[in-house]
Order: sequence, then structure tokens, then C-alpha cells
Amino acid sequence: MHAIMTQCKFEMVRIFRNPYFVFWSLFMPILFYFIFTNIVDTGVTDEDEWQAYYLMSMTTFSVMGSAIMNFGIRMVQEHSEGWSAYMKLTPFPSWAYFASKMFGQLTIHLLSIFIVFLAGFIINDVSLTASQWIFSGIWILIASIPFLALGSLVGTMRKVETASGVSNVIYLALAILGGMWMPVRIFPSFLQRLAEWLPSYHFSDGAWNIVQGASPDWQSYFVLTAYLCIFLLLAVFIRRKQEA
Amino acid sequence: MKKIVEVKNVTKCFGKTTAVNDISLTIKKGSTVAILGPNGAGKTTTISMMLGLLEPTAGEVKLFGEDPKQLTVRNRIGAMLQEVSVIDQLKVREVIELFRSYYTHPLSTEELISVTGLHEDVLKKWANKLSGGQKRRLGFALALAGNPDLLFFDEPTVGLDITARKNFWDKVSMLKTQGKTIIFTTHYLQEADDFSERIILFNNGEIVADGKPDDIKNNISTRSVSFQSRDKHAAMTLVESFEEVIHCYEKEDRIYAVTNDTDAVLAKVFSQGLPVKHVFVEQGRLEEVFDLLTSKQKGVL
Ligand SMILES: Nc1ncnc2c1ncn2[C@@H]1O[C@H](COP(=O)(O)OP(=O)(O)O)[C@@H](O)[C@H]1O
Ligand SMILES: [Mg+2]
Repeated sequence: MHAIMTQCKFEMVRIFRNPYFVFWSLFMPILFYFIFTNIVDTGVTDEDEWQAYYLMSMTTFSVMGSAIMNFGIRMVQEHSEGWSAYMKLTPFPSWAYFASKMFGQLTIHLLSIFIVFLAGFIINDVSLTASQWIFSGIWILIASIPFLALGSLVGTMRKVETASGVSNVIYLALAILGGMWMPVRIFPSFLQRLAEWLPSYHFSDGAWNIVQGASPDWQSYFVLTAYLCIFLLLAVFIRRKQEA
Repeated sequence: MKKIVEVKNVTKCFGKTTAVNDISLTIKKGSTVAILGPNGAGKTTTISMMLGLLEPTAGEVKLFGEDPKQLTVRNRIGAMLQEVSVIDQLKVREVIELFRSYYTHPLSTEELISVTGLHEDVLKKWANKLSGGQKRRLGFALALAGNPDLLFFDEPTVGLDITARKNFWDKVSMLKTQGKTIIFTTHYLQEADDFSERIILFNNGEIVADGKPDDIKNNISTRSVSFQSRDKHAAMTLVESFEEVIHCYEKEDRIYAVTNDTDAVLAKVFSQGLPVKHVFVEQGRLEEVFDLLTSKQKGVL
């Protein structure tokens, strides 16, 4: 137990020390949020609604980023540099190692959610009911798990360069096509239809629903669960194949 | 006599290359054993199988009578691999703290620092930004973190200067007095001779000799029958085919047949009527055999 706690602690320390995390998961979303709710005139009629909506977009953008990029690339790095092999010599079981990384990562998600929410509150005085804050936070935390699975899929790649290249593309494509940067309703209709099949759209959509007083659609649960299963199965399958 | 390491008929193939070919050995508690051999002899592969990092193609490895992958076994072993790898975004002191937390009876941080001679300023550095020598020290500290009974060092002194080397061996001697079992690999005969009680000599994935350094030096397998011949090629081909001959080479116009049984080789040479003259039976030195193995290896590469 002591080992798991120590491992979790250091996993979190490592994430916070990573300049990419601070840039992509904290600085960028908050900067975007500031720009698109204060500087650029988006021509929306309901300012308050837009500010809450876009806060959810940016929080999901932040969390999705660290799930795919940080988690996955780290795994590749530890593998390629022989650290994973070295870990196998210790009595710390690999499941505990993986669980500590997951737990550390989820705690970082929670912290990111808190920080970005706080930024929204400070910048625009976003006012939601207590239960809206809490439920949107919980939704984003739990619905980030399929993206961790995607991260572990990225983690099966051999080279750090390929992994960071590929995950960058996936991350930005998912963010833009899923409507995290701008709402899908301004997209051409075929892109709108595509978005409904993307995990990123449903990730954000659940949070958008919550701040608009509704709850996440069943389609969102369904699509996210389906992606979780696909990513996990693929990641396990590829790992098995590599170890054989 | 308690067997700490047991290797039974182990073979490891990588595709078509056989890195380790049907080796068997046991190592008893408290001994210091050198696995000696030229580059590519299969030392790292053997150590990796003992550590459970590689699965043998055939055969079986046991540490403390159990599968090396058992967590209870891992709690009692420590290793410094040939390539010391480190985690990023952590300071040296933090890596040590992290590693200590994995074991049930870790050495105290102070002890680890004093044994490995990591200075205060090194402890504050990023673990992945250390110099080669500092990385080795950290690797040494991590190997000792769990206060293990059994230690593995794969080529521990490669790339170290003379002072650092001496320092390392001093610490190893100290660990030896604490009753730890130590297995290290090296391609320096001198190191194996100076710091081990037993040398296991590897070449081409096979154990060529195994025993006390002094015994190995006097080992019959370093004996040879040498002679001159009119038809060197034919003589060599024939002598090589004798089952007693370990290997055969030519030096300064003489043909040398290294063997465990010089009598038998002599008998065959004469009974088969080889055109030989100036026959000698020689007691070789380990250095020579070793150099020969090493140079043979270079020839292949
Ligand atoms: N992962 C691997 N894949 C293919 N061949 C390997 C691998 N590891 C080692 N070998 C080969 O096995 C042989 C023994 O290597 P190794 O055990 O590293 O030798 P040593 O440590 O004695 O220098 C060499 O011929 C080497 O090329
Ligand atoms: Mg080696």
C-alpha cells in the first residue's frame, strides 16, 4: 500500500513537471477560453450560456489532452528507455504500477478540471448551481476514462517520435471535429453527422447538457462505453502480440 | 550447501542465432561468481534469463528454488543491468525513495547514499541528466535498495575510470562480507580473477570452463598438444575431428590442439600416422586461452 501511494505521488509530480502538460492542458485551454469569451466577438445572443458552454468545451479539451498525450507518450518512453523492463525486477507488480499511473492520471484530471473551472469563474464569473459544477466535474472525470484507454493504445507504439506525432494528430482532430473549439452546429451537415460518432463530441456534449440543465444523452453513454471497449481490447491485443 | 540459483539445460534462441546453448549451473549461497566471456558470448542473455526478463527457449531457471518472476523472489534480488535506465522528471533522491518503497525491508536512504557515494549535489539532480559514472552509482543504489540477498551486476565497470572501478570493487567486497550472493559479468579476466571465488567462462553461448580461478588456470582444458607438420591443412583437419580436442589453432608455424586429455590426443596422433614432428605437450595459461577465445570472436565479427 505504501508503495502504491508513493508511486501515485511521484506519477503526479512527474506530470506536473512536464512542460507539455502545463502548456497543453492548463495554459492553452485557459487562453482559448479567455480569447473566445472575451476578445473575439462570437455574436452569441446569450452571453452567460456561451460562457458556461465554452468552459465545458475547454475543460474537456484539457482533460482529453493529458489523457491521450501524457499517459500514452509516457508509456512509450518508459518502454523504449528500458525503465519498464527494470521495473519488472522489483517486487512492485505491474498491475499496481499501471493502476498507480491510472490513479495519478485521474487525480491530475480532477485537478485540471478544478483549475479550468476556477479560471472560468474568475475570468467570466461563470455561475452554475452547485450541483451543475459537481455533476459536470464528475462527468468529465469519469468520461475521461475512454481517453485513457486511447492513451494506453498510443502507449503500445515503439517510438516516442511516432507516438507523439500520432497522438498530436488524433488529439487535435478529435478536439476540432468533436466541437471542442467551435460548436458543431456551425459545421457543414456531414461534419455534424460525423461528430455524433466521435468520442470527443459525446465527452463534451454530456457536460454541455449538464450546464444547460439537462443530463447527458444515452447515446453519449453508449458511444463512450463502446470506444472504451474498443480501445482497451486493441491495446491488450497489441501488447499480447508484442510480448509473444 | 544451499542452492540460490539453479539453471537447468537452458537454451535461448533469437530467431536463428542461439545466444545460449544448453547450459546448466548452480550457485550456492554466499558465493561470488564471475561470468566471464568475450562480447557476444551470451552473458547478458544468461543474466536476463536468471532475472526472469527473458524466457528461455528451453530449460528452466530457479532462484531460491522458485520462478524468478515470483514477487517473493524479486523482493530478495537486486540488479544493475548493462544499460542503466532511469525514469524522467524525477530527482535522484526521489527515485531512490520510490524504489525503496517497493521492498518490504529496504536499506535506509542514508545507508544507500553512503554505500554508493552519491553526493548531496548529485541527489538534487534530475535522474535522467546524470553523467555515465553518476548513472552507474544510481544504478548501484537502486540494486541495493531492497537490501537483497542476491545481486546481479552486468558489466558493472565498463566505462568507469580506475578510481571508480576500485571504489566499486571495494563496495562489492563489503557486500560479500555481509554474506550476500553476488553474480557479475565481465570481459576482463583480471576482474574475474581478482574479485570472484568462481569463474564461469562463456564462449559462443556455452560454458567452456567452470571453477575456482586458480583451478581454472590449472585446468586441463588449457593444456595442448602442439606439433609441426609438412601438411598443416590435412593435419589440422584430422586433429580437429578428434572428439577430445576442444579447439585447434595455428601459431608461429605450429599447430596447437587444446584438450582435456593430452594422452588420448597423442595416442591418436601417432596411431593414425600423422606426419608430425617436434611434438610438445604444453600447460597453457588462462590468459592465453581467453585471448584466443576473444580473438576468435573478433575474427567472426
Ligand atoms: N534481443 C536480441 N535479439 C537478437 N539477438 C540477440 C538479442 N540479444 C542478444 N542477441 C545475440 O545473442 C548473442 C549473445 O549476446 P549477449 O548475451 O548480449 O552477449 P554478451 O552479454 O556476452 O556480450 C549475440 O550474438 C547477440 O547478438
Ligand atoms: Mg552483455
